[in-house]
Amino acid sequence: MLRPYIPILFLGILGAALAVVSVLGGGFIGPKRYNRAKLDAYECGIEPTEQAVSAARFPVKFYLTAMLFIVFDIEIIFLYPWAVAFGRLGLFGLVEMVAFLATVFVAYAYVWRRGGLDWN
Amino acid sequence: MTPTDIPAPSIAYGPLWPMIAVFLAAAIGVLVEAFVPARRRRPVHLVVALAGLTGGLVAVALVARNHHHPTLIAERAVAVDGPTLFIQGTLLLLGIAAVLLLGERSLDSTGGTFVAAAAVVPGSRGERQLTASSTMQTEVFPLAMFALGGMLLFPASNNLLLMFVALEILSLPLYLLAGLARRRRLLSQEAAVKYFLLGAFSSAFFLYGIAMLYGYAGSVDLGAIFTATGTVGSNDTLLYLGIALLSVGLLFKIGAAPFQNWTPDVYQGSPTPVTALMASGTKVAAFGALLRVFYVAFGPVRWDWRPLMWGVAILTMGVGAVLAITQTDVKRMLAYSSIAHAGFILTGVVALNRSGLSGSLFYLLAYGFSTLGAFAIVTLVRDADGEATHLSQWRGLGRRSPALAGIFALFLLAFAGIPLTSGFTSKFAVFSAAISSGATGLVVVGLIASAVAAFFYVRVIVLMFFEAPAPDGPTIAVPSVLTYGAIALAFAVTVVLGVIPGPLFTLADKAALFVR
Amino acid sequence: MTPAYYLFLSAILFTIGVLGFLLRRNAIVVFMCVELMLNSVNLSLVTFARMNGTLDGQIMAFFVMVVAAAEVVVGLAIIVSIFRTRRSASVDDANLLKY
Repeated sequence: MLRPYIPILFLGILGAALAVVSVLGGGFIGPKRYNRAKLDAYECGIEPTEQAVSAARFPVKFYLTAMLFIVFDIEIIFLYPWAVAFGRLGLFGLVEMVAFLATVFVAYAYVWRRGGLDWN
Repeated sequence: MTPTDIPAPSIAYGPLWPMIAVFLAAAIGVLVEAFVPARRRRPVHLVVALAGLTGGLVAVALVARNHHHPTLIAERAVAVDGPTLFIQGTLLLLGIAAVLLLGERSLDSTGGTFVAAAAVVPGSRGERQLTASSTMQTEVFPLAMFALGGMLLFPASNNLLLMFVALEILSLPLYLLAGLARRRRLLSQEAAVKYFLLGAFSSAFFLYGIAMLYGYAGSVDLGAIFTATGTVGSNDTLLYLGIALLSVGLLFKIGAAPFQNWTPDVYQGSPTPVTALMASGTKVAAFGALLRVFYVAFGPVRWDWRPLMWGVAILTMGVGAVLAITQTDVKRMLAYSSIAHAGFILTGVVALNRSGLSGSLFYLLAYGFSTLGAFAIVTLVRDADGEATHLSQWRGLGRRSPALAGIFALFLLAFAGIPLTSGFTSKFAVFSAAISSGATGLVVVGLIASAVAAFFYVRVIVLMFFEAPAPDGPTIAVPSVLTYGAIALAFAVTVVLGVIPGPLFTLADKAALFVR
Repeated sequence: MTPAYYLFLSAILFTIGVLGFLLRRNAIVVFMCVELMLNSVNLSLVTFARMNGTLDGQIMAFFVMVVAAAEVVVGLAIIVSIFRTRRSASVDDANLLKY
């Protein structure tokens, strides 16, 4: 009854062993030489400048723009297969794609009206 | 593998209308956010959301009347059958009650349970100004509607890819909603981060399971997987890996042990109306999907997965019932109680027969309304800092407000499964189904867990009615008609299903047949 | 080269993602590990599509990419908001919710 689970059990044990060995092994085998340069942020040899704690690293605006870009950029992915198969899909494909784009434009209208596209 | 091989699919839109109505209302909600001035948004949102949900309910009724034969539509991707319609009807009713709770704004002295602007840093001067302002982040309505749309689609999917997309549609808005509480911003944000990271983690497992099953059966259609399990010579390792990984994702969503860790934290930190939506809606939808996957696709290999589900059910009931005793916070206690109930419903899933399915459906409806009502009452017990959720603050509540405490006690008794409440009927249904399938041991564990659970429910009732109220205890806020409506609906369902469960039981029994 | 190698690679990438999720402290890195898991699944899907000779797997990979993008946006929004509050993105600092 439980025989099929044996490979899974082994896989689980192997996975857990790999995790434990790599974590513990790193601690045991790896050299422990900490110095200031090693603990610093990696900045290509430039001495890292102290940042005031209160200053955010990037303005939040960057993140907002990045998020909007990702979403609207990736949605276009569905247009490619549709464009390739457009001839076969015909009117049905067109209607579905218009419905899809209308939904994307609803989101666009929201972003635009709420000032997501202003850079100030 | 050339594009010319692709035939144009055909979609019968009629039975999709319950979902289309809700998604349409959600999209209109986004447009409302874009074009309606801030002051008038909340009432407009309420009208749009309630119209969408009512429209969906009408559509469910029409589909149930016109489609006597269960069918698979949209290239077999969506199943229109009894369980789909039963669960969708349940979800839409729960959705109406949850939207009423979301729209409540007369509880806090200023403007409801949601933050005025989610982006403002807690503790800053901007936040203190906004706490006093009467605005709220009205995006909660379209977000909740998108989540509800995903919940409707989740149990209806007969195709694992669609099921994954529906899972994400229901989850992503909930991650955001969890972080929007007006008071205790830090806890709320922390709940959102935890829920998001663990939810994304579990859905990655779900997806890897889909890939394994696709490799096994060559298709992600549940019927095709069912057919493939009947044939000899396929790579069974892929099948078992697929079942195991898929179960991780589903069990996470229903909050079953050992994937229950997120539940108490997220339930406690989220705004209570959102917790009500999560505890009722997500649980119903995820159990619907779980039932469909295991009943439709994995039936032939039941001897391989049933022992594991036995273990999960026992562990879930045990963890939920035992840890609930140690809780001192009402919302955390209700969260652990929801874990225990997930275990009780799992006994109906494990039964894997028709009465198990109908019992589970009945249980989901009854439990959904009781838990929604219980969280609705939590929103009313408040002190100066917002909701007073510590159990010691609930001491003597029955003397101050007998009606409210009485209704809460009724919900607790329903959770405990006392006769004449909906909880008794539903527990009886799943346990008798499990016995008829030979799972007597599981039922014994279930009864012990019920007894343990009854202990802490009764303890809260004793606390409310037989102890003296604390001098600086919380006050009972007077809500508007919205919260009263939600509580009345939950109360009515809990009482009616306890006294005359017959009609709904017949309905659930008639609905309990999956299309393959 | 047999397609099975891609499945092994996908399993290894998935495991690296799981380990990273469990071991790393920075919420952004934890989140990147989830994305690694999703993309390793994509590799499995297209490999199985090749092995089965069907297109479904490739289309599924598209859907997974879109869902992953939506998840990135939601996740970044939540993590940025908690970072602005606490000035740290360590998951160990999120420890207020317990009994």
